[in-house]
Amino acid sequence: MPTLRRLAPLLPCLLACFVGACSPGKDAAAPSNSSPGSRLFAVSFMTFNNPFFVDLNEGIKAVVEARGDRLVTLDSQNNSLKQRNDLSDILQQNPAAVFLNPVNWEGIRGTLLEAKRKKVPVIVVDTDVSDPDLVLCQVISDNLGAGRLAAEALGQVKPDAKIAILHLSTAKSCIDRVTGFREGMAKFPGMTLLDTQEGKGSIEGGRPVMRDLLGRYPELDAVFPINDPSAIGAYSAIEAAGRTGQVTIVTVDGSREAAVYIRDGKIHSSSAQFPKEIGRVAAGKAYDHLEGKSVEKDIRIPVKLVTRENAAEFLQ
Amino acid sequence: MNATHPLLSRLPGGLRAQIPILSAMVGLLLLFGIWVPNFLAPENLIDIAQQNCVYAILAFGMTLVILIGGIDLSVGALVALVGTVTTFTLVQGWAAPLALLSGFLVAASFGLFHGLAIAKGRMPAFIATLASMMVARGLAFGFNSGRPMSLPDEQTAILALGNGRVAGFLPIPVIIMLALYGIMAALLHFTVFGRHLYAIGNSRAAAEFSGVRVQRREIASYLGAAILTAFAGLVHASQLYGAEPASGQGFELNAIAAAVVGGASLKGGRGSMTGTLFGAIIIGILDKGLNQAHVHFSLQYIIKGSVILASVWLDTRRRD
Repeated sequence: MPTLRRLAPLLPCLLACFVGACSPGKDAAAPSNSSPGSRLFAVSFMTFNNPFFVDLNEGIKAVVEARGDRLVTLDSQNNSLKQRNDLSDILQQNPAAVFLNPVNWEGIRGTLLEAKRKKVPVIVVDTDVSDPDLVLCQVISDNLGAGRLAAEALGQVKPDAKIAILHLSTAKSCIDRVTGFREGMAKFPGMTLLDTQEGKGSIEGGRPVMRDLLGRYPELDAVFPINDPSAIGAYSAIEAAGRTGQVTIVTVDGSREAAVYIRDGKIHSSSAQFPKEIGRVAAGKAYDHLEGKSVEKDIRIPVKLVTRENAAEFLQ
Repeated sequence: MNATHPLLSRLPGGLRAQIPILSAMVGLLLLFGIWVPNFLAPENLIDIAQQNCVYAILAFGMTLVILIGGIDLSVGALVALVGTVTTFTLVQGWAAPLALLSGFLVAASFGLFHGLAIAKGRMPAFIATLASMMVARGLAFGFNSGRPMSLPDEQTAILALGNGRVAGFLPIPVIIMLALYGIMAALLHFTVFGRHLYAIGNSRAAAEFSGVRVQRREIASYLGAAILTAFAGLVHASQLYGAEPASGQGFELNAIAAAVVGGASLKGGRGSMTGTLFGAIIIGILDKGLNQAHVHFSLQYIIKGSVILASVWLDTRRRD
């Protein structure tokens, strides 16, 4: 039949679908999501293009799989519509709970309403949503504390620092870090804030902004980039300007990459977040709720300062 | 192309051309029906249509320009810009009809620019729309320092465009999509304008010699694509309960994929609205089915890429 022959090219795709069905990690035909040991959980991340979320996913997965349940990981690719569609697919299957890291903390409302209608608890990880009433709880790094810790670390070495901030003002977590940092600054009356610029939270974003700041403010001797990548960008600008050792960098994240810079004395300190711990706690709260225990609404995971003394621990 | 019997001969022939893609759609539905429990539940099937209406509306517009051998890469950025302009004006307290009009006017001016630059200026469509994609994205980020904005809660009619349901069952965005499909299919398959687009796509020079006002038709195509994009932008903003200047990235590629899976040829002259609608739905079925079968997202990208590749192969084989 000519029609069938025309369809022949579609065969490889169908084949691929079957391969998918047989791929490891999927126990087929387990539709019941109510009894322990076979329940479905899902997590949707704004992007998987950041090791932070890979670690967070590992943290959730470890708890869920230890209980014999299944976790489906979804990657939104920073596309709000994809996140909404991915989650409505999973919500149709009555999951036991959904973990959510929203692309857009306001635009996610439609999904939260749908989850509420279907009585599926939602646990928000790493960032806030604008309607906390629609979710079971939020598990987030103590971003205020991270900023405060950075300011205090700076105050130990330069109580009269002249500071610039490299911001990422579209992210709620970074707004909190800067608020915390300014609270910390208030304890050191000698400190002055010279300027706040958008460093885009990335190496490529931080470098040119820092280069401009160095040119504009010869007295500048400290900088607070809101995360490790923009701190690394700032360092490379300082090095290129021949001002190594004169500008103290304090930041937030505590990644392995930054720990190397801290060990070598290029970055002074970083307030470390613990993504695996966020994942572990979030999954624990989901199970607490399913067992009928009450769960606090707002959970902040403490941060820890990485300095030259303890940098080795973070290089493991 | 058969222009002598405009109505009756076109319809059955058109339907016959849809048989392969229709069979592929039914095949996929059956596959996932067996594989995924409750996949064929009515609620789940309606959800497929609802999830893909933004992509489908964009794909209708994309089909218009692909038919004449063009392309419009700006639609994703325009979705964000239309949403941002409409939300911003509503937040400023403009009346809803004025706010909607401003969104449509912004899109139309982009469409007009594309048409003029490509038809009169003879700029390559790829480059002209790539450039305006950047301009539109930049403009969208210019509002509210690039941060998302919420639609005012009292704008219930606009919020219903993306989230409401008629009789608690049929989603309003799906009705909008089907209405636009009806209009575009009628325009393309039952009017002289539609036949001219096929003629231009098959051979621009031949169309010009036979008296088709090619430049006007080209401008109208790009304008039409931009206006459809405005509809998509409006539905999308409503779905997000506001505007997100960063949204819509890569939507142009989804729209192109839907048109191509639906049988449109990037060389122009081949394609149909029905095919494009089915193309968008097939991609939607794949997305939902693979998600609900809990296939890892890395494998999903590979499978979707293979389906698009297979469609193009099918297209080139049919051509030979």
